Amino acid sequence: MNVSKLLEKRRVQWSELERLCDAMEIRGRTEKTGFKHHQGAEGIARFSTLYRAACADLALADAYQLPPGTVTYLHRLVARAHNQLYRADKFESQLWSTVLFETAPQQIFSDPCVRVATIVFFGLFALSMFLGLNDGVFPGFADRIVGTETLSQMEEGFAKPIEGSLDHYVSMSGHYIQHNTGIGLRCFAYGILLIPCLVTLAFNAIALGTMFGYMARPDAVGGDNFFEFVTAHGPFELTAIALAAAAGLRIGVGLFHTDGLARTESIRVNALKAVPVMASSALLFTLAAITEGFISPSPLPYLVKAIWSVLSSGLISFYFVVLGFPREVLASSPAALAGDQPDGT
Amino acid sequence: MDSRAALDTTIAVVTPENIAFDYQLAGPCRRLPAYLIDCGVRWGVIILVMIALTFAGILSSAGGYSSFYLAAGFILYFLISWFYGTVLETYFNGRTVGKWACGIRAIDTEGRPISGKRALLRNLLRIADMFPLVTLSTFFVEAPNILFIPTGMIGLLTMMSTSRMQRLGDLAAGTMVIVDERGWRLPVAKVDDPRVPALASFFPGDYRVSRSMAKTLAIYAERRHYLTPARRREIARHLAIPLIDRFDFRPDVDPDLLMYALYYQVFLSDSSGEVADLGPLAGFSPLRRDQNKPRGLMGDSTNPISTAAHGSKPNSTPRAGGNMPATAAMGKTVVAQQRSEATSQTSDKNIGTVQPRTTRQEE
Repeated sequence: MNVSKLLEKRRVQWSELERLCDAMEIRGRTEKTGFKHHQGAEGIARFSTLYRAACADLALADAYQLPPGTVTYLHRLVARAHNQLYRADKFESQLWSTVLFETAPQQIFSDPCVRVATIVFFGLFALSMFLGLNDGVFPGFADRIVGTETLSQMEEGFAKPIEGSLDHYVSMSGHYIQHNTGIGLRCFAYGILLIPCLVTLAFNAIALGTMFGYMARPDAVGGDNFFEFVTAHGPFELTAIALAAAAGLRIGVGLFHTDGLARTESIRVNALKAVPVMASSALLFTLAAITEGFISPSPLPYLVKAIWSVLSSGLISFYFVVLGFPREVLASSPAALAGDQPDGT
Repeated sequence: MDSRAALDTTIAVVTPENIAFDYQLAGPCRRLPAYLIDCGVRWGVIILVMIALTFAGILSSAGGYSSFYLAAGFILYFLISWFYGTVLETYFNGRTVGKWACGIRAIDTEGRPISGKRALLRNLLRIADMFPLVTLSTFFVEAPNILFIPTGMIGLLTMMSTSRMQRLGDLAAGTMVIVDERGWRLPVAKVDDPRVPALASFFPGDYRVSRSMAKTLAIYAERRHYLTPARRREIARHLAIPLIDRFDFRPDVDPDLLMYALYYQVFLSDSSGEVADLGPLAGFSPLRRDQNKPRGLMGDSTNPISTAAHGSKPNSTPRAGGNMPATAAMGKTVVAQQRSEATSQTSDKNIGTVQPRTTRQEE
């Protein structure tokens, strides 16, 4: 059989496959993948038959001595059908719960990047809070770091008592959710470059710490309102920022500490390691946002918010320490661990 | 993964069907417009959402809920600006609006479609690729320190230094961006020159071309439309001369026509042996041994398949045909010159075609 006859014969199927691809690209399914056609079996079966036929044609292109133009056409046709047959898989809920509650805490517990990020963030936060608080010892620290304008804006923002000005605080929550989560994500993204991540993290730790310190001064306007506002969501949000930076640093460290892998491969391996940490950071950000949206600006008594804050800190500790404790240590010496407990026998 | 080192920007992907097909990688020049379109779309959506929320806020201001709309606005702004790419790439098979418009698609490095996790990674890391940021005050000292412009140098550098043109986000997520063109057609070669089947019928029925020859013929038939007749002959001569010798054709057979006829013979003609409808060419023979025989209908008119006659055929490119057909036949290779000289001795008809060449050389 000569090539033109063969092409004539095969072209019918190829153009049918093209039409099916068109339909799938535009509508996400072929005409016959509805319920009418036995729940879509017909359209899908036809599509995969045609796809396999096109694959076979491509494989035999050399043996058939197809012209190069036709081979190029076949490459594109197969690629296109391949893209429709093997579609992007969505987020799987079951897998993500395993990632969130098993992989992530253990990763966090054992990852030195988390320690570095936490120390940088909370260390600088505490230090600048101390410096900002003691205006007598370090005069003008807060004004120079954050800027007098920003500080007076903040005082103005928190001047109203939370009770009775729901309007004002709800919009403020929206702004802070957007702003702080943005910081976290930026820290994560810059982590691959290491230095920008550490700079962003340190800058935000110092700025936040100074603001906290400033508002904690006895003469600050609206200091009580400020702390009432931030108490509930603080633990979630600050931890989430530190974790996001840690996930980013993990990728960045992979760029230098390759463990014998090729550099690009090492980045990929470390990025996959960073995903669970980032996922738990996203979970914390979501919890922080929910808290910030519903509890922080609400007129609930301060006690409730304080209890919520203690509970959330406890949950985070439980998550990091209990869920995160290395399983192999537990498995290897359960007796030794039991012996450490005061009432264990 | 790819054992052969490609010189161009294609990459081979092996499917679960055990077929290797080629993808063309998308470089910075294709991806930048896609990114800019995405930025435009993203901001368009954000502005629309803001306008809608503002109206909703104004309408419900009597109820005192306007601040809720403001808060919702902040959160929606955050979600759209950070997760636009992730959501679109996950649910539209590796494509955003900009990628769709530019005909590119993100897939993973094994050729499989992108997964949600990978889409998230590569989109979150985009702002690292956009590093470093510059402000207007970088260029003008007086300008205010606002309007951060991402330069994208990191992404560009990594794209240039990786074999799959990946930016940092792609490297971390294990993805690459490929060209996913629309609007391609199966090229179908049609031969509308009646001399071609006629000439093709003189190839012996048992002649089989080699694989590389078949490939060469196909490429030649595809490309010849873009070449002038002179260039066609020059290229075709290298393969045509051995064929003329082998099958004992007349030496003044147009090499381009001969190659085209062989292409027809290999790819298009029926092998069942039915005689092509030769029309007015019936009885004409291109063979050397028939050269001095009477030519039936053609009589003593010019040889229809010689290089001279070919140039004046209506289906040839007018630029080089017509008035000066023989100059178009001028060859550059030594073999061709020798051939022409031999021709001028053996064939009286051809002196006219060779003569202008020599005169032109003298000029």
